[in-house]
Amino acid sequence: MKLFKHFDAESIDHVLEMVTATNGKTALMAGGTDLMGVLKSELLAAYPEVVINLKTIAGLDTIKMVDQECRIGATTRLTDIAASEPIQTTFPALAAAAASVGSPELRNMGTIGGNLCQDTRCWYYRYPDKMGGRIPCYRKGKGPCHAIRGENRYHAILGGKKCYAVCPSDLAIALGALDARVKVVGPTAEQMMPILDFFNVLGTVLKPDELVTEIRIPLPSKTAVQIFLKNRVRDAVDFAVVSVAVMVDQEEGVCRDARIILGAVAPTPYRAFAAEAAINGKSLNETHVAAAAEAAVKDAKPLSQNAYKIDITKALIHRALLSS
Amino acid sequence: MTKKYRFIGKTTPRKDGVAIVTGKADYIDDIHPVSMLHGKVLRSPHPHANITAIHTDKAKDAPGVRAVLTHADVPPWMTGMPRHVKVLDQRVRFVGDAVALVAADTLEQATAALDLIEVTYEPLPAVFDMDAALAPGAPQLHDIFPGNLVTDFPAFGPNTLSKVVRGDVEKGFEAADFISEGTFGYENIANPLPIEPPGVIAQWEDDQRLTVWSGTQSASWHRWIMQSKMGFPDIRAITTQCGGSFGSKNYAPQCLFYASALAKETGRAVKVCYTKDEHFGAFVLRLGSRFCGKIGMKKDGTVTAVAGDWMVDNGAFSDMSQSQIAVGCGEAQLVLNCENWNLTTKLVCTNRCPSGVIRGFGGQELESAFAPILADVMAKAQLDPVEFFKKNYVKPGGKYIWREGNLWTCRGKDYTDAMEKGAVSFGWKDKWNGWLVPTAVEGSKRTGVGIGIHGNADVGEDDSEAYIRLNADGTATIHASVSESGMGQRSSLCKMAAEVLQLPLEKVHMTPPDTLVNPFDFGLVGSRGTYAVGSAVINAAEDALKKLFERVAPELQAQPEDLDTLDARIFVKGKPEQAMGWGRAIGIMRSVTGYGEFKSDYSVPNFLALFVEVEVDTQTGAVKIKRVVTSTDAGQIIDPPSLNGQLYGALGSAGLDTAVFEETIIDKKSGHMLNMNMCDYKWRTFNELPEFENVILETPFPTHRFKAIGVGEISTSPGPGAVLMAVSNAMGQHMTDYPLTPDRILKVWGEKKGIKNETV
Repeated sequence: MKLFKHFDAESIDHVLEMVTATNGKTALMAGGTDLMGVLKSELLAAYPEVVINLKTIAGLDTIKMVDQECRIGATTRLTDIAASEPIQTTFPALAAAAASVGSPELRNMGTIGGNLCQDTRCWYYRYPDKMGGRIPCYRKGKGPCHAIRGENRYHAILGGKKCYAVCPSDLAIALGALDARVKVVGPTAEQMMPILDFFNVLGTVLKPDELVTEIRIPLPSKTAVQIFLKNRVRDAVDFAVVSVAVMVDQEEGVCRDARIILGAVAPTPYRAFAAEAAINGKSLNETHVAAAAEAAVKDAKPLSQNAYKIDITKALIHRALLSS
Repeated sequence: MTKKYRFIGKTTPRKDGVAIVTGKADYIDDIHPVSMLHGKVLRSPHPHANITAIHTDKAKDAPGVRAVLTHADVPPWMTGMPRHVKVLDQRVRFVGDAVALVAADTLEQATAALDLIEVTYEPLPAVFDMDAALAPGAPQLHDIFPGNLVTDFPAFGPNTLSKVVRGDVEKGFEAADFISEGTFGYENIANPLPIEPPGVIAQWEDDQRLTVWSGTQSASWHRWIMQSKMGFPDIRAITTQCGGSFGSKNYAPQCLFYASALAKETGRAVKVCYTKDEHFGAFVLRLGSRFCGKIGMKKDGTVTAVAGDWMVDNGAFSDMSQSQIAVGCGEAQLVLNCENWNLTTKLVCTNRCPSGVIRGFGGQELESAFAPILADVMAKAQLDPVEFFKKNYVKPGGKYIWREGNLWTCRGKDYTDAMEKGAVSFGWKDKWNGWLVPTAVEGSKRTGVGIGIHGNADVGEDDSEAYIRLNADGTATIHASVSESGMGQRSSLCKMAAEVLQLPLEKVHMTPPDTLVNPFDFGLVGSRGTYAVGSAVINAAEDALKKLFERVAPELQAQPEDLDTLDARIFVKGKPEQAMGWGRAIGIMRSVTGYGEFKSDYSVPNFLALFVEVEVDTQTGAVKIKRVVTSTDAGQIIDPPSLNGQLYGALGSAGLDTAVFEETIIDKKSGHMLNMNMCDYKWRTFNELPEFENVILETPFPTHRFKAIGVGEISTSPGPGAVLMAVSNAMGQHMTDYPLTPDRILKVWGEKKGIKNETV
């Protein structure tokens, strides 16, 4: 692995100072479970001179209930989120998403901030440099998306245009259903943005000198039901083929305020508005659920090898809604 | 079980167990000869290209760099079968092929210098598929293989099996009641992925003497096979623990070439340890396999004829493919006892990572490829596959042509009882509802069962030698060139010797796997450890005891044959007071050395049946392995945990799971391997281990001292076909493609239900 300097950050201000001082040639590291792979593979031409360790920032790894919302520090470990009693009780979809990531070892290292900011798993994008050279592509700023005419079984069926790589984050899907917001801090300003606005088709909206410091989740209605389901080839150390997170409130058997977010089917977490519309104001019976599942994928444009994701998406929505 | 043994058959602590679990055991990564350098390989971005220019000046000037080698200045060593693969070539043949070598003081310096080597390529058209490689006008990978066909089969002598021609297939098909035919592939080109990637350290002691350390499976291969590729230097080969091999790390010719070439150039020890990326993308894969042919069968399940062409995808090169084809041709005959054969083979070069030795060694490839045809013809005949396999495997007295081309008569065991007991344990009768009928259906979850069998006449393959030295302190030292690649056989060999010598197990040790101090042994390949290597060690122990008894008989006033020994004390049988300790008997300034050998014998095949129950979710396409039962006959179990470990190994390491998700994925246009990491290359994790039972019979096998017979290698091979059968039954539809990933399941299920998803 290429060498870099490593700094333990003391505060967020300290991070911002160092990022400025090194002219952006930095990489921010929380758990490092994704970053180490990115660096080892040298998959980007730019290689950081400095890696800044965020885990040493005091108080950035806490889960707090404040003013009708839950605030989770960016370096809170996935293990701690999955095991947190308030999260399990109030945000079971988030607890399930955190528990579904990787393996116990990865969850002991990985953090919520890192999970949101991790790079895509597209295997063209991830091709290791020392095996003949990294593969240039649209996402890297040069060339086409190789998945379109290549091996695309795990790529996007929805919303792909110039790049069909999918967002790998499990927590983003659960947080999307929970209508969470992300606190982004930069040298001049900080902002709270809805989680779904945090992602764009090429990753996240973070600028090189910005970082995520906190995730805030509003307390859900006491009658709302949450589900997170993740389909993958094997039940550990694997990313989603399709995931779905649902939060839906029901009053006297009638749905309202449904939020249905799909993962690994699009370059970003995908909010299935049409599926939500298909059940809002209705009961969750077989007919309405089937209609919601169909509606969710009506815009799907699968590539040569990933049409099966449509079936899985429908199956997951079906299962999630019927278990709500 | 009439004879009670002191150690044999009992669970005893594995001798290297504590060292492994406490981190004390040495792997190749732990070995650091004095002033060792690190070697790295620059790899090709092209699947096929000529190197037209290569400039190394900048790399040579880089900090810490001691040598940079290109095709222009490497030694003239050659590997491949027949020899055609240079250390470095002016032509590259797969993405990741070696272009140049760097040795530097640190690994980081060597890696950084790779970026400073400037190479100009003339890209050539490439072929990624056997059909493309065989098409008229296809680009040629090697000048010596016109049409990309390897036709030279020198693996096991002049009559090496490259086809099976027996009887009269025309008559055979005429006599058939049912015939099935088609073209089916087993082209996952899986990688068994032992934990530690391959690595070699080389150091030249002088011009002719080379020492190599490696984390590989068979120490002697790095001496006797590599000598022949390198102009016969005197190679001392030492192996470390190697963290598993599954055949793939029997040896590592390329690593050894690179380390030795850099060591020669620098006069220093050089370590070349592959990264995991290189382990995936530039080491060895399982052969690609495709069978195009037909099988004829009578109503009663008698196989009347097998005919067809077995196409084998070699990748860019290999030095073991012909050996695997030869063994595979033999193994197919063991599974299908048929009088009429016309099985031809084609070994085809394509522009992907080379192939090598992988557990299953030919038979798994061939049998998995023709499994759909066999399933189809069995289904036509409405035959219970358990009855079919029981009927058709080669029993004592049956005949088969083995790898070197000779016709052998089986003098092994009858495995019918083992298969029947396995079927009972599995509950086959209750679960089998006929072809393409699920065992159970619950909503979208459908359960099905399948069976496969495999046999290999390798329990007595190749030669072994061993010495045993009896020491005055009441210990014994086994000298045998046996490396440890995870199966625990070194421990089991100590058990066999301890049983013969009647010494406490902790008093029996083995020399390190080092060809300088040990006689020849072919290594732990196939299932030869128990019978071939074990017999050599047992013979050596018996020889040593004989010599010891002859030495002390006069002093004990007895005949040598009247003597016995227990815990390093020799006594006259029936007169325990007439005794002498080994200290006095041997003498503190002396030792007693026994010699034992084993000569290859291909008349003894072993067999294993594997039963599997799967659950298919027709909504998500998920295939879950619910339960596996293996059944075999070990004659006499030597070490229960080691044997069970071998059988549990049926699942992963390019075995049964190649029917579920293990596969290497290569871009069909660029030749890039896309899943070269342990996340994207799916392999089974511990949380998904199915229920697994081994039914092991112990019917004494006469010609082994402890009546034992090896079964280690064969557990992976029946799995893929068995899973295909089980999933077919669950879905009510013949499934023919490996692996049965969700996309394949859902596509077939969708077609069955008349659903189709439009693609762009």
